[in-house]
Amino acid sequence: MTTLEMLDFARGEFFYGALLFFIGGMSYRLVQVLGLGWRSDRTAPKKSQPLGVVVSFLRGILILPFIPWVRGTFQRQPIVYIAGGLFHLGLFVVIFFGTAHVMVWRDLLGSVSLGFAWPSLALPLVDLLAAVAIVAMLVLLMYRLTHPVMQKLTGPADMLNWLFVFLPMITGYLLTNQAFLRYEEMFLLHQMTVNIMLIWIPLGRISHFIFYFFSRSIHGSEYAKRGAQV
Amino acid sequence: MATEKIYEAWQRKGISRRDFLKAGAIITAALGLSASEVDKVMALLQERHRVPVIWLEFQDCAGCTESIARSQNPTLSSLVLNTLTIEYHETLMAAAGFQAEDNRRRIMQDYRGEYVLVVEGSVPTADDGVYCTIGGHSAEDLLKETAEGAAAIIAVGNCAAYGGIPKAKPNPTGAKGIDEILTDKTVVNIPGCPAIPEAMSNTITHFVVFGELPELDEIGRPLAYYRNTVHDRCLKRPFYEAGKFAESFDDEGYRAGWCLFKLGCKGPTTYNACASLKWNEGTSFPIQAGHPCIGCSQPNFWDQGGFYTAQSAPLMEPSLPMALIAAGVGAAAGAGVTVANRMGKKKDAEPASQEEEKASE
Repeated sequence: MTTLEMLDFARGEFFYGALLFFIGGMSYRLVQVLGLGWRSDRTAPKKSQPLGVVVSFLRGILILPFIPWVRGTFQRQPIVYIAGGLFHLGLFVVIFFGTAHVMVWRDLLGSVSLGFAWPSLALPLVDLLAAVAIVAMLVLLMYRLTHPVMQKLTGPADMLNWLFVFLPMITGYLLTNQAFLRYEEMFLLHQMTVNIMLIWIPLGRISHFIFYFFSRSIHGSEYAKRGAQV
Repeated sequence: MATEKIYEAWQRKGISRRDFLKAGAIITAALGLSASEVDKVMALLQERHRVPVIWLEFQDCAGCTESIARSQNPTLSSLVLNTLTIEYHETLMAAAGFQAEDNRRRIMQDYRGEYVLVVEGSVPTADDGVYCTIGGHSAEDLLKETAEGAAAIIAVGNCAAYGGIPKAKPNPTGAKGIDEILTDKTVVNIPGCPAIPEAMSNTITHFVVFGELPELDEIGRPLAYYRNTVHDRCLKRPFYEAGKFAESFDDEGYRAGWCLFKLGCKGPTTYNACASLKWNEGTSFPIQAGHPCIGCSQPNFWDQGGFYTAQSAPLMEPSLPMALIAAGVGAAAGAGVTVANRMGKKKDAEPASQEEEKASE
């Protein structure tokens, strides 16, 4: 099997299977979480619950990341907080605004988006943020490996989480910059690692990128009901 | 049987010593050699004999023949088309029928181990090769027979190199590139649709001058023409780097000459010299003319997604109903496991509660 034939397989049947596993797996996880249920609380809500959800997202995504010093996490572990933030920002921009990825989304969402498409950002900017995210990942790995508490908390699954995100990141960065290997060889490595990540996500904690939005909504709603600040 | 020498043939045609020297310099440059190699090339040209060429056509459109016949480098096209005595070429030769086939066999016999075999078009292998026969023989038999005594075998065009359009799914004729059939021989592939004329003529010239095949990549292409991607040498590359892309064939970006990546350009994975050698006397090439590269020098280019679908897009993706089925299966499995867990917990709890009841009694 030549590199090009393997690339066809990675972009074809393997991606197809990995994406279906991802969809089915995430659906499985979501139903399981919902199946846990929660206690019925018949007390009258103290604040508007929908507003609580909105406030929860605003504070979590748009406000607190930009005034981090008000948070205890930042005061105790500024490097982790900054590295974590930059990693998530870089990953978000690369996945949703990198040109190659925008075209993937257009293709995947073609049948449901009714022609809606968003533009890509300039390559130098996306490239910079990708590099920042990669460095941030390395910083977080060093922290995880050297901090005595983190050493005790880190298991094999955490290392796999890191690896299955890092591999698509680094191969994607090298692919864009056409370094080390030929374009199609790096494309193959990138596509394979993305497929593996898609399969891994429902099995591990990276699934938080979808469940975050559910938990944020539930927390916002519940906190508002009790009149507490999120 | 030895043919006359190249230099003798040129002298017979009245080509002056000055023109011969010019030709040597042009050939040296065209082969990508340094100026210091001119003497060597000149010496070799004086020594080398004319090489008979047998040009077979199978499942093709003769586009590669059209391409080389329109080569804008007169020295090289003359070298290949006139000096190299093309002894058999269905599109160009005057002979026909059994006379032509007899001539091919005579050349194979008289110049065994000396002639160059050029193949254009793919070879059908389904149904005993009935989809392409010449003089009552299948393309596969003709290819094997002619390749047996060839000094060099060159596949021109994507069809001969990798199966090309005839091999596109569902490949009803079982089309194959010739190196899939001649597995025990080295085949030089000059893919393209059509192949770049200079890549064809220069590769043949390389063999004639040096008596050996040029350096090849892992899928048999001469590195001199297929070392870099179209993207590497593209004149629109700066727009790609700057993230400036045409979004449609009539928007402002397109008119401003921006990168065609989003319109399906396959330049990043296409190894060919289009962007550097160009076509029609170096006038232009598809991307310069405003069309995305379709990757015609790559194996199976016809099945690499749509020509206007971006290269990063997957080749296969689940349809919406299929995605919903996957989500449904996942949800059903999740619900099933949840219910089973709850029932398991109830069962575990029941004996304990019975013991508690007994204790309270």
